[in-house]
Amino acid sequence: MTPGEHPDGELSDLNIRRALVAAISRADRERAGQLLDHWAARHGYAAAYKDLLEPALKRIGRGINSERFSLAQAYVAAKVAEDMLTKSAGLLAQNSEPKTVKGPVVLGNAEEDFHALGRRMVATMLRSSGWVVCDLGNDVPAAEFVDKAIEIGARVIGVSAMTMTTALNIKEIRRELDARGLSGRIQLAVGGAVFLVAEGLCDEVGGDGTAPDMLEAPHLFAELWARGERGEDAR
Amino acid sequence: MNSIQRLQCLMAGEMADRRMFTMPLSQYGAALTGCSLEEHYNDPAAYARGQTAVRETFAPDILFGPLIVAAIGEAFGSKARYFDKGPPVVSTPAIEVASEWNGLPFPDPDRHPRLSYLREALRRVVAEHGREVPVAVLLVAPIDIPGLVMGLDAWLETLLFDRPAAEAIMRRVTPFAAELANRCFADGAAFVVWTIGFASPGFVTREILQEFSRPVLVDTLARVHGPVVLHHLEFPLVANLDVLSGLPSVAGFVLAQGDNLKRARRLLGADSILLSGPASPWMRRAAAADVEAVCRKTLENRRDDPRFILASCKGDMYIDTPPANIHAFRKSVEEFAGDRR
Ligand code: B12
Repeated sequence: MTPGEHPDGELSDLNIRRALVAAISRADRERAGQLLDHWAARHGYAAAYKDLLEPALKRIGRGINSERFSLAQAYVAAKVAEDMLTKSAGLLAQNSEPKTVKGPVVLGNAEEDFHALGRRMVATMLRSSGWVVCDLGNDVPAAEFVDKAIEIGARVIGVSAMTMTTALNIKEIRRELDARGLSGRIQLAVGGAVFLVAEGLCDEVGGDGTAPDMLEAPHLFAELWARGERGEDAR
Repeated sequence: MNSIQRLQCLMAGEMADRRMFTMPLSQYGAALTGCSLEEHYNDPAAYARGQTAVRETFAPDILFGPLIVAAIGEAFGSKARYFDKGPPVVSTPAIEVASEWNGLPFPDPDRHPRLSYLREALRRVVAEHGREVPVAVLLVAPIDIPGLVMGLDAWLETLLFDRPAAEAIMRRVTPFAAELANRCFADGAAFVVWTIGFASPGFVTREILQEFSRPVLVDTLARVHGPVVLHHLEFPLVANLDVLSGLPSVAGFVLAQGDNLKRARRLLGADSILLSGPASPWMRRAAAADVEAVCRKTLENRRDDPRFILASCKGDMYIDTPPANIHAFRKSVEEFAGDRR
């Protein structure tokens, strides 16, 4: 038995919530998966995601920012989300329901930035929420972001930058979008630890929007996608 | 008293004329001599000239060999990206998944050009200053090596979800890490500093710390023939010191700016050297008066602790750190000694 679990093994919803946070904290991916299955059996996978996993990840996300959770735990949290996606996608396929596909979007680290971990977790989270993500990796030149977005018809480019110096390189992507007359139609999402500490940095580098963590990323991308469809340049 | 004599006092648990102080001013040497970072990271003679300038300008009690962790990645075949104004980083890891470790050739610490640069630069600094000033070299503990060879996320993935593979990797990496440290001791290093990111609460869970990181450290440190100082890398470390105390060959710990030093001393006992002070990224932007105040407060906290060294934490000092901030660091130590008399 682990903290948050009931002695007789029967889990109430409240206990499952606690047990899930505890399992992810122990980096116990398997147990986290079992708990989510347990919930899904009662309430369905959509509810398991929305009512169970998301609140747990929120708690963990807050902990990471305050240094109460480790990189390892954050990594496991993203994996658990990915596992859920795989399972529920499998179920959807079985029921032959049409799966809603969002995107595609382009993602990458700003030029000269090599902080892959956060970007990969954002990619995982977006995919778990049904987005098709083209991940260009580290150290991506401005023109490459824009070329790729045009090539695949992406309305959102997501850029991750962890240091002040590399965040300023995002300005070049904005210049590129402006020069090609694409601002508004292709939206620029920015994020990374430095955006949490440097106020006004998103505006300074020409971002259309930012989100503090992987959990908020799907929401931000949805909002920006809608704006992109309207061709809205809100800056 | 010279710095070697201060260190002898410290080891004996006696108070010297003043506190020892140090900062890794590795790149900063290039800034002082006006050398490009490209030359600094390739030419051992240019590197050594930088440390001479550091000693003449700031007189720290410990000098350093090159802080170039990415070179260890390069030695395994990773590609590094070099910058005009900062240290290099691994840009493309040599391998992507755990299974590729099997066929991976390991570098020879005597022959690989990047390791030869590192060691030759160390030898030159030792030859020129080693009689008066201890020279340290910063390497990474075996638990941090895979991050430089396969990337941080692939290493986390392996460690979390394929423990036997992680252990197999360590069986190969451990002798290499010990050997590299031992060669550096033979080159004259007074200390080898090892980053232990993968033993810190910011990186790993307690389970990984206890079941994986500690046993690996015990095993490797037992093969090392000189004093090793363990370095917090990025996040506070004190929460894990209960598990990290009593390791063989460990002379001390570099702790983070926010770490509770009283608690650290309690957990480690009286014999361990403690090093801590302001973090290099913070010193880059702070006002000189604030640097002095933080140093002063830290010295005050360790007033009766003979085995404390005031040291900047996190990484190498940024080359655009105002010299006044580094002088303020040094001044705090000198004035604190004046007050004590
Ligand atoms: C690991 C790490 C590294 C590793 C990266 C390895 C890897 N494969 O990722 C290595 C060793 C390479 C590294 C190098 C450097 N680093 Co570093 N690094 C870190 C560290 C410790 C953790 C970063 C991390 O992975 N966090 C965990 C992830 C999950 O969080 P995250 O990245 O913030 O991402 C989340 C959110 O920000 C958000 N998000 C991220 N991207 C995006 C994008 C979008 C569109 C959205 C919506 C959201 C979003 O969602 C993510 C998940 O929730 C931080 C310390 C810290 N406290 O953050 C320093 C830190 C980021 N590094 C820093 C520095 C200075 C450097 C170096 C310059 C050091 C040096 N002197 O060499 C180099 C620069 C390398 C480069 N040019 O990119 C500084 C940045 C300071 C600043 N604000 O300017 C930090 C803050 C450390 C510090 N306190 O000084 N680093």
